[in-house]
Amino acid sequence: MALIQCEEITKRFGNHTALNNVSLTFPEGKIFGMLGPNGAGKTTLIRIINRITIPNSGRVLFDGHVITQRDVERIGYLPEERGLYRKMEVGEQALYLAQLKGMSAKEARVELKKWFKRFGIEGWWKKKVEELSKGMAQKVQFITTVVHKPALMILDEPFSGFDPVNSDLIRQEILRLKDEGATIILSTHNMESVEELCDNIALINKSNLVIAGGVDEVRRKYGNNNIELIYTANQPLESDNLLFDIISDDNNMGRHTAVLSLKDGVNQNDVLSALISRQVVINSFKELIPRMNDVFIKLVAESGGLSYSEK
Amino acid sequence: MNFRIINVIIGREYMTRVKKKSFLLVTFLGPLFFALISVAPALLMTFSKEEAKKIAVVDESGIVLPYLESNQQVKYADFSGYNVDSLKLKLKTKEMEEDVLLYISALNPETKTVNVVSYSQKPLGPELKTSIQNRIDKSVEEYRIKSYQIADLDKIMEDVKSNVAITTYTMDETGNESITSSGVYMAISMILGMIIYLFITMFSSMVMSSVIEEKSNRIVEVLVSSVKSTELMFGKIIGIALVALTQFLLWIVLTGVLVGIGSQFIDMSDMTEAAVQTSSMTGGMDATSMAGLSPETMAQLADSTATETTGGAAVFNTLARLDYPTIILSFLVYFILGYLLYASMFAAVGSAMESETDANAGQLQIPVTIPLLIGFFISLIAFKSPDSPLAVWGSMIPFTSPIVMTARIPFGVPGWQIAVSILLLIATFALFAWLSAKIYRIGILIFGKSASWKDLWRWLKQK
Repeated sequence: MALIQCEEITKRFGNHTALNNVSLTFPEGKIFGMLGPNGAGKTTLIRIINRITIPNSGRVLFDGHVITQRDVERIGYLPEERGLYRKMEVGEQALYLAQLKGMSAKEARVELKKWFKRFGIEGWWKKKVEELSKGMAQKVQFITTVVHKPALMILDEPFSGFDPVNSDLIRQEILRLKDEGATIILSTHNMESVEELCDNIALINKSNLVIAGGVDEVRRKYGNNNIELIYTANQPLESDNLLFDIISDDNNMGRHTAVLSLKDGVNQNDVLSALISRQVVINSFKELIPRMNDVFIKLVAESGGLSYSEK
Repeated sequence: MNFRIINVIIGREYMTRVKKKSFLLVTFLGPLFFALISVAPALLMTFSKEEAKKIAVVDESGIVLPYLESNQQVKYADFSGYNVDSLKLKLKTKEMEEDVLLYISALNPETKTVNVVSYSQKPLGPELKTSIQNRIDKSVEEYRIKSYQIADLDKIMEDVKSNVAITTYTMDETGNESITSSGVYMAISMILGMIIYLFITMFSSMVMSSVIEEKSNRIVEVLVSSVKSTELMFGKIIGIALVALTQFLLWIVLTGVLVGIGSQFIDMSDMTEAAVQTSSMTGGMDATSMAGLSPETMAQLADSTATETTGGAAVFNTLARLDYPTIILSFLVYFILGYLLYASMFAAVGSAMESETDANAGQLQIPVTIPLLIGFFISLIAFKSPDSPLAVWGSMIPFTSPIVMTARIPFGVPGWQIAVSILLLIATFALFAWLSAKIYRIGILIFGKSASWKDLWRWLKQK
């Protein structure tokens, strides 16, 4: 079941096309990684889902119907550029933002107090935002993004500005919210957190959707086809003209750890039988699933490199 | 439009401002200031009465002294026959209680005039100097006339004495006449024009700063992910309008209370004099400080009040006759409409700015502040000639009409003119609110540097 469906969305700013016919489905209850280089069009798509920007063509479906202004009360958005009123008290400000999301003042106060307690920041309620450090303000902002229990959360670089302890706290909260049924769109350049948190990803480059799918599926499909081989032999292996190249070989007193890059169309069994016929003792033969980082770089390069368009 | 949400926005915009110390300070000091201005002349007069100038007179001519009559402000004492040099010494060492020594020489038989010298430690005030001069002139003139030895001179003098007074009447359509003081109208017209100009400028700029603040601290993206940009913009404009109205009403009430208290301590005859002075004083003062009016204009203004020989009675008559409900109501209507028009323009301009000090900021701001200034300058003409073509047109054209019409109102304006002007103003506001909302929607999300007018034009066309 899809919570959000983007259908053939195109957005132009003057002569510049920010999004070109992008269709994407965000499954309910999953964490969806939105990837792409700077200026690719991610923020524009996020703003269109939030109804901040209106597309030139295409439509967004929310929970099966065309999205309306009422639906934004069920979305929580943490933009990359954080911001709060500096002169306003933390509690008062959180109450205001929660009310803008449709909560009553009373309900908002109860929920906010719970969150402040969970994050151990009850003492900040009466403080002005300008008295908080950057990390502290980020925490407050995270709370204001999720306090109204949104069905969809859009988190743009949620870990930036946090120390490792707080970063982990936010990570745990994201997973907990997912367990409670929330759908989360995570836009980030941190590929480790994509591997760790995301179920699905989409990559946008130069205004076009490059790829969408399950994280593992994409990693397998778009990574280099590499094998990690550990073997014992007196002489190191040599590359095979038909089957594989040896990228690296690390010899530790006769025990070698090598990375083999398979040639196009070669399957792993062929390599294995070739290795056996070469009289080496195979200790370990393991497929190397490519890092998300490598997939990202490869896909961006294949889809035309980086785009530096004016925003 | 989601009115529950707009109310939340209005609530924040209103409360954060009303709770500010600066708001409280201005709200409570403002009336104190107004009250002081309106009561100050009377107070000054009450106090200055206490310390009458004491003048020692050495009259060697023998004709001047009878003309120097003591009154509340000046006490003359006859020191004729004393040695002037020793008196000067005493004055210097303060051995005598007089502040001024006035020496009048013997009459010159040739020129039939006297030489007059005054000595004092502090310079003589211009008023006192003129008064002394007039009295001495009069004594010499009468002496000369007498020297012609005309029979029945006293009777002739009484006959030729002229004291022309101009009494101004205004006639309303029913033909009723009443004594009025045009100076009062002019002063009130000018003060109203200035206040509405200041109010519109002040509160429209407040909208602009608030837009820039939300943009520069980046909270605006969170806000527009919850509410429509138009809701945010109008919530802000309305919230600040309520702040203005709150301040305005508090000022009226507090000024009334303070003037009421103040007038308890001042006797009414002083008030009468003071009222004439205030109207000419504030008129002159504001004119020079605010607009650099030519001296002729100031003189005209001063004349118009000075020649009111019907004096205090006419001032009070006029003040009492003013149509306060109409003046206050039209002030409010024109303030609200003018503010709405300018606030939406300032909101659009603010949305295009990165900061108020950015290089492009001035380029954006000037075109929207100039019409306001023009309105203010026309109002300075309107208070002299409220029915001149410039004033009438100025009170019709929507960008200047809030200020110019407010300045014309005390003189009485035909109903149809007010109706046309208000309708035009409303229509223009609707148009500019729509245009501004389109610019605002895009502008608040464009970061980096302030936009140019070309960018604004592009945003207008953007979907």
